[in-house]
Amino acid sequence: MTLTDRELERYSRQLVLPEWSGEAQERLRAASAIVVGAGALGSPAAMYLTAAGIGRIGVVDSDAVELSNLHRQLLHFTPDVEVAKAENAAVKLRALNPEVEVDPYPARLEEANAEAILMGADVVLDCADSFETRYVVNDTCCALGVPLVEGAVLGLGGQVMTIVPGRSACYRCAFPASPPPESVPSCREAGVLGPVAGIVGSIQALEAIKLLTGVGHPLLDRILQVDGATTEQTLIATERRADCPACSQVAATAQSG
Amino acid sequence: MTEIDLTGVPCPMNWVRTRLMLEQLERGQQLDVLLDPGEPLRSVPASAREDGHEVVVAENRVTIVKR
Repeated sequence: MTLTDRELERYSRQLVLPEWSGEAQERLRAASAIVVGAGALGSPAAMYLTAAGIGRIGVVDSDAVELSNLHRQLLHFTPDVEVAKAENAAVKLRALNPEVEVDPYPARLEEANAEAILMGADVVLDCADSFETRYVVNDTCCALGVPLVEGAVLGLGGQVMTIVPGRSACYRCAFPASPPPESVPSCREAGVLGPVAGIVGSIQALEAIKLLTGVGHPLLDRILQVDGATTEQTLIATERRADCPACSQVAATAQSG
Repeated sequence: MTEIDLTGVPCPMNWVRTRLMLEQLERGQQLDVLLDPGEPLRSVPASAREDGHEVVVAENRVTIVKR
């Protein structure tokens, strides 16, 4: 399973990295990722994974592109308004890198379909915009033993957390209960500045690449908070809860990282 | 001993191919690389040294011992 001449050229600027290698590139090519949400976080996350040479990427989103998405959702262009986001993302990602198998899932990820969609993935990136989805993704990844990179953004702030079920704190360990719905403003009400989502989505892709290749050190047992207003980043330590209903029964897997 | 002819292969693809060849070798094994004068003969040996390998250059032949 050696790299072709075209792959060598396409990935040459990461293949020359001292931290990278042909083996890392091949591990990435053998891997499958699912990106939940093809919006502000999912766009850069999916684009970087695809560009870097992931083997297979699934993109889950039930929405259609709206004009008000375009200031932050970089996969979608003005002529794409009203097109299904998952399908449009797949078209763009295939054009970016035809070596990658891209599977659109034009569905809303929920409890009933989560396991079917996420099973078999080597990593999941949660780029969705609701707490409900976040807990479903977390709990399903814990049950399946699939590493997860959580991302969230609102206003000028964002956060990232990488989770290896059974080994590091899961989202529910850090945030046992969803905040009351009325206390959480949506993107619609609170707004988002595009580049803040770009930072968070890009870090999610970086975390996924590290988990899949074993290069570098993933952000485990820590929550990275990004403040776009000051450009400051803060790391907050977190740890597994012995009584976590999502991950306490999960045995540590042999995942790299 | 392994030898690859990378004359006609520009930077940085010559270094990409050299690195991938080195990955296949065991420590202490030797790789000879033939390179064009100019940038290739300046940068490939420098990159190999940066990666910690032993490098000897004789004309357009670069001998690398993997470390």
